[in-house]
Amino acid sequence: MKILIINSGSSSIKYQLFDMVETKVLAKGIVEKIGMQGSFLKNMRNDGDELKLTGEIVDHQAGIEYMLGVLISQKHGSLQSLKELSAIGHRVVHGGETFKRSILINEKVIKKLEEVAELAPLHNPPNLKGIFAFKELLPEIPQVGVFDTSFHQTMPEFAYMYAIPYTLYKKYGLRRYGFHGTSHRFVAKRSCAILNVDQKNQKIITCHLGNGASITAIKNGKSVDTSMGLTPVEGMIMGTRSGDLDLGVLTFIMNKEEIGVQAANTLINKHSGMLGVSGVSSDMREVQKAAAEGNERAKLAIRMYSYRIKKYLGAYSAAMGGVDMIVFTGGIGENDTITRKNTCSNMGYLGIKIDEEKNKSAQGREEIISTKDSKVKVLVVPTNEELVIAQDTMEIITKMNK
Amino acid sequence: MTERIENIEAYALKKDPEKHQKSEAINKVGIVGCGNLGQEVARMVSNQGVDVIFLEVNQSKIDDALKGITKDLDKMIERWGMTESDKRAILSRINGTLEYNDLKGCEIVIEAVKSKTREDSVEIRKKIFKEIEKIVDVKTIIATNSTTLVITELSSELNNPERCVSLHFISPAADVPVLEVARSLYTSDEAYKRVCKFARLLGKRIIPVIESPGIISTRLIAPMINEACEILMEGVSEMEDIDATMKIGYGFPYGPFEMADKIGIDVVVRWLDNLYKEFGDIKYKASPMLKKRVRANHLGRETGKGFYDYDADGKKIMRERISPC
Repeated sequence: MKILIINSGSSSIKYQLFDMVETKVLAKGIVEKIGMQGSFLKNMRNDGDELKLTGEIVDHQAGIEYMLGVLISQKHGSLQSLKELSAIGHRVVHGGETFKRSILINEKVIKKLEEVAELAPLHNPPNLKGIFAFKELLPEIPQVGVFDTSFHQTMPEFAYMYAIPYTLYKKYGLRRYGFHGTSHRFVAKRSCAILNVDQKNQKIITCHLGNGASITAIKNGKSVDTSMGLTPVEGMIMGTRSGDLDLGVLTFIMNKEEIGVQAANTLINKHSGMLGVSGVSSDMREVQKAAAEGNERAKLAIRMYSYRIKKYLGAYSAAMGGVDMIVFTGGIGENDTITRKNTCSNMGYLGIKIDEEKNKSAQGREEIISTKDSKVKVLVVPTNEELVIAQDTMEIITKMNK
Repeated sequence: MTERIENIEAYALKKDPEKHQKSEAINKVGIVGCGNLGQEVARMVSNQGVDVIFLEVNQSKIDDALKGITKDLDKMIERWGMTESDKRAILSRINGTLEYNDLKGCEIVIEAVKSKTREDSVEIRKKIFKEIEKIVDVKTIIATNSTTLVITELSSELNNPERCVSLHFISPAADVPVLEVARSLYTSDEAYKRVCKFARLLGKRIIPVIESPGIISTRLIAPMINEACEILMEGVSEMEDIDATMKIGYGFPYGPFEMADKIGIDVVVRWLDNLYKEFGDIKYKASPMLKKRVRANHLGRETGKGFYDYDADGKKIMRERISPC
């Protein structure tokens, strides 16, 4: 069974072709600068064959046609024919309250997707473009939508509601939705497998720390709270996003600096976070380098970053009535020993103890980094969102064929 | 493991070969005359990932335009509306030239020159249109930003006048989410549709109009400024208070005098002259308050002095006034 995973953005499409029998990636790549000058397609086959194609890619559909063309080409392809494809799995950013799990896409679903697009105007419409393109090109192959938000749909009402007039929730659907759902779900499940425990009786806090960052409280296998909200700007301090912020600060800035909604949006999404505080970079490695050279603001940014995570670890432990497991994933979570160390230091009262050596050696691979006697197990687990999408897709079409 | 680069065409599924022919996509936009408005348009178009080539009369004007665009981008960064990397990307797509030849390959060319008198403006633009037509593809859209000059007249001497439209940006072009798109007697449906596509790319609400001197915006704003001058001249009130009335009372972002300074008082006079000539209505006769300032070269923000005085950054200097209340 072969499944093609599509992550369709505003001007790019990332893809991975999975062989689900052997659970391996046959090829992956990206179509970039769609509809712009200098558009190209890059394909990497699992045997090391790399190909870059340049030329005009007018729209998403053209990009997907070329992608399929490459995948079945004699020289650089991975498939004999497109008939080998069992299904297409799409990453869809926002599923609103409608989509509580991954779903087979049909006309009705597309209509609902168009409705929820309002909640993620930058992300959902390009996701839909990918879906439409496949509907046009390969109408007989089933498509599945896997949502960033659906894992968090199990949150209780008192956790996802904002304390604003209830009518606004009713009118616009303003509430916490959370993101990175596939990642949190994957690493929680994987951690339980590593420790050989049943997820059904575990309290897990998963920290997805990448360019965007979110933390999720997972109790008995279900997301009960998560740090991102209606949009991905809430919660952790990120590369260029502020994370949690007193709303009064934003209205104060808008008033004093006389800026509009758009600039305010850019301010909290692109000028803030590690970049805004340190003034050095949005990249944690560069901020750490500057801190090592004595840059005070870089040092401050790093302290703020870990402190924010720590606060959430405490909050979510309280929310769940304890914690059994903390999992780090995402670019920073998987590779950055300093952040993990800072975050887990002085947490003995909660039963968290880190093995410094193991923490140092865990770089982008699965590792238990807590000490043997640590009550709370701390793990590093590289995320694999594409695999989750592929697995969900397979599960849905297998059921469908039964 | 070496990376190979090949042409993408060879990998088309060939389902619909026509689809992969040169598309309707807009990849390169030409601008003739890169003053304030040309700069705003260049910045906005480039921000959409489209290449921009602008034509100027000499190197120092090219340098000025690039400097102006850079300054505007810096201002946006300062005002939190943009990042350094956005700025680099935008600037990398904007180039200046002295040669019409470099407009080759543009899907759309916008004329945004400034001229002194009405007679001048028509002749200069007609000449520019002809020069552009010599270079560009037969389907390339040729547009003018002028509103008081009708596009039918400007395009009448072209071989393919059906590709001409009037594309009227309201300054500040990047922030005003509306665009008047006027068609001439010649404009084809195909050309009009392509221009609308371009307008949508820029995120603008399109106001479809049939050409008419001043279309909507200029025909409403120019007489308002003119009338404000009458009120001032009659001594009814001071200009700060007239401006405040319209700003606070009717939610205008600028009062009529601030607006005149921002547009350029010479431009306002030229608009009024054109409207007067076209309609013959006395209400379009430019006020002496405007003409006097043009003669003195007090043209507004651009010259540092108009109805108000401006500092080097173009910021309004407040007068000291004694209020009667």
